[in-house]
Amino acid sequence: MSFLRDLYGTFIRISIAIEIQYRASSAIWLMGMVIEPLIYLVVWSAAAEAQGGTVGGYGPRDFAAYYLVLAAVNQITSGWHMWEFQYRVQQGQFAFLLLRPVHPIHGDLAENVAHKLAMQVALLPALGLLALAFQPRAELHAWSLALFVPALVLAFAVRFVFEWALALACFWTTRIMAVNQAYFAVLFFLSGRVAPLALLPDWLRHLADALPFRLMVSFPVELVLGKVSRPDALEGLALQLVWLAAGSAFLALLWPRALRRFSSVGG
Amino acid sequence: MGALRIFWVFAKLGFQNEAAYRANFWIQIFESLLNVGSALAAVSLVFSRTETLAGWGPPELVALLGVYFTVYGAIHIVIAPSLTKFMEDVRQGTLDFVLTKPADAQLLASTSEIRVWKLVDLVLGLGILCYGIAGLRDRVGPLETLGFGVALVAGAATVYAFWMILATFAFWFVRLENVLQIFWSMYQAGRWPVGIYPRWLRISLTVIVPVALAVTVPAEALAGRLTAANLVLACGVAIALLAVSRWFWLRGLRRYSGASA
Amino acid sequence: MSAAPAISVEGLAKTYVVPVREAGMRAALRSLFRRESRRVTAVDAIQFAVEPGEIVGFLGPNGAGKTTTLKMLSGLLHPTSGGARVLGFVPWEREHAFLRQITLVMGQRNQLVWDIPVADSMERNRAIYRIDAPRFRRVLGELVELLELGPLLERPVRNLSLGERMKCELAVALLHEPQVLFLDEPTIGVDVTMQRRIREFVAAYNRRTGATVLLTSHYMADVEALCRRVIVIHHGRLLFDGLLSALVASFASHKTVSVELGGPAPDLSSYGEVVSRAGERAVLRVPKADTPKVTARLLADLPVVDLVVEDPPIEEVIERVFAGEPAP
Repeated sequence: MSFLRDLYGTFIRISIAIEIQYRASSAIWLMGMVIEPLIYLVVWSAAAEAQGGTVGGYGPRDFAAYYLVLAAVNQITSGWHMWEFQYRVQQGQFAFLLLRPVHPIHGDLAENVAHKLAMQVALLPALGLLALAFQPRAELHAWSLALFVPALVLAFAVRFVFEWALALACFWTTRIMAVNQAYFAVLFFLSGRVAPLALLPDWLRHLADALPFRLMVSFPVELVLGKVSRPDALEGLALQLVWLAAGSAFLALLWPRALRRFSSVGG
Repeated sequence: MGALRIFWVFAKLGFQNEAAYRANFWIQIFESLLNVGSALAAVSLVFSRTETLAGWGPPELVALLGVYFTVYGAIHIVIAPSLTKFMEDVRQGTLDFVLTKPADAQLLASTSEIRVWKLVDLVLGLGILCYGIAGLRDRVGPLETLGFGVALVAGAATVYAFWMILATFAFWFVRLENVLQIFWSMYQAGRWPVGIYPRWLRISLTVIVPVALAVTVPAEALAGRLTAANLVLACGVAIALLAVSRWFWLRGLRRYSGASA
Repeated sequence: MSAAPAISVEGLAKTYVVPVREAGMRAALRSLFRRESRRVTAVDAIQFAVEPGEIVGFLGPNGAGKTTTLKMLSGLLHPTSGGARVLGFVPWEREHAFLRQITLVMGQRNQLVWDIPVADSMERNRAIYRIDAPRFRRVLGELVELLELGPLLERPVRNLSLGERMKCELAVALLHEPQVLFLDEPTIGVDVTMQRRIREFVAAYNRRTGATVLLTSHYMADVEALCRRVIVIHHGRLLFDGLLSALVASFASHKTVSVELGGPAPDLSSYGEVVSRAGERAVLRVPKADTPKVTARLLADLPVVDLVVEDPPIEEVIERVFAGEPAP
């Protein structure tokens, strides 16, 4: 589809140009995204030391590996459209998006990808420096490294689809802050940010397995660090595909309804 | 005192504004409970796996969280919304509205907006603080309480001065919209005792972004770990930073009104 | 003469559901997902047709329903009832083939990206509307010439003045050579010289391309310059659909004379209909033909400090003419 290639190419190029204009703000935002994994890296390392070396099989250097990879994966899969959507509707920009003969999701996807590409310039060196400070340790296998790439791409896709659907909630409620905060609270626990999922109590771990949040962040991290057996890795990839299909179907059903809400309350 | 009267007027206005939207109260309760609940759950999770964290036990950590949320609530009631609005005013060029009033511009800029419902955060913070103190009962005597009070005031003053400095940058860098985000990013680290962080991070959290002084030092007082040296340091930093922020503000103001380069 | 109209509207109506804030805890909890609301009729069963190539002015005061109508015709809103067709399509089905042939320009709202050069925003539209390179160069060249955009293309949008920004907005909106242009208050907030230039551009563009233009404005000057035909809408209802000359004749029948006197204004009803009188100022409504005579009398009889003769504002005229005032 050469039209889509041209479209995405142009969108991404323009988004990067805009990114460069906002590099200072982006740097600040990036700092915020890296600090949280850093904090929990230190907290769990301290816990491990208090317990004589390890907690749940993780020592400080294992936590270092986990959290540094998590920082990267979390940043790469993250999105912000749930914050922006309501603002966009109120400022009238959404009307312009609707006038275009392309679905608004393309622009947002391109913008997201562009932002991630631009951010790696700062993120990877920062994580590299932190790696020097914290000395991560992990078992890396060729097969898990190979599977990491599709797992990461799928994780990004699943998270993007669900978060874009979440953004549409702004058509049904003005309390979008509360809704988003609830979402991020769930993500904090079930996507592996507060602790590696293996350290969670059983009931939470079962919940994490039943929901897509693990597949959005934790799964690729576990995979590349060799914490997942080969059959489980393949099963995880399959699950990602299933959730992606489910999320896309949900979005396809939600979108026309969102447009109708937009239409009834006024543009 | 004129300043207090101004503050009281803003408070009343803020309250009347927000009381009209009582739904905001319930939303605020939801958001605060979510925030506080997540923090407590995280602490509980850590303590399900270990008995101490860098020598701090569960009640001490709860007390720390209490101080964290109390300061968080306090900032969000007045300082954060007012200084955010101030930075917006600088960007839009509407600061003159503040400058032509017969009161100190810094006071006006710092207190112009009041989010009354953020009191919920403050109250929740105090609640958790009390819960933590209850666990520390036998160790909190009059000396510790005094130390706590002084440390808290010094911490609050330090945070305010730091915010003023960050916000004053708006006079020079108009497009740095999320500069205040720097504080919030680092502030999260205050949920855990500053002692667990490696030295370089500890220094950042004390000197560059004074999170440690605002949160950990008062909590240390309650836990009976506060050294006189640390308390003196905290007070010294507070006074110095207040002075610096005032000087910086006046510089910025002169620049804005074109009086100097 | 082509058979089908470019735009045809039949019984089109739009009622908004407006949330109403209520007090009390239960209402607050309810307000989380289901809001109390009331209905506001923005457009009340209107009907008209526009031939290809026409420039039609859509007149009416603020809140009359003009913008809502344009939004329905461009597919942004679903009507509550009734139908419309634009270029044979049902607008709110938002087929891509339809969207590629229309454009909506809203005064004071930018689709241009703020921080990057105008040329980049144009590049973006080129990709969105699938305009191939040679066609893009040709159309851009024509627009640059017609709008005098030359030096503006490489500048970031935030560095442009409001008028320059409006010109660029128009250009970007027309890159895909739409057949139907919806212009919603394109000259609002722009200085007088630029207003004239924009009007000239729209007229020239219409002549060159034969595009159909539906223009809303509450500036009479826009409509007078561009439109032979006007549709007047008020409170969501169509009040007039016909030649501008007929409408002008009916409201140019009167003039507004505002005087400021050296002392308190006496009773001026012998000069004309007194619209208002306060202190030293008074406003009179005088039949057009009598205006020179009345003005001369006022100047001769009274200590006039200032005197202004104006066309009445369109809002007032519409209110008066269609509130049952007999035609002069």
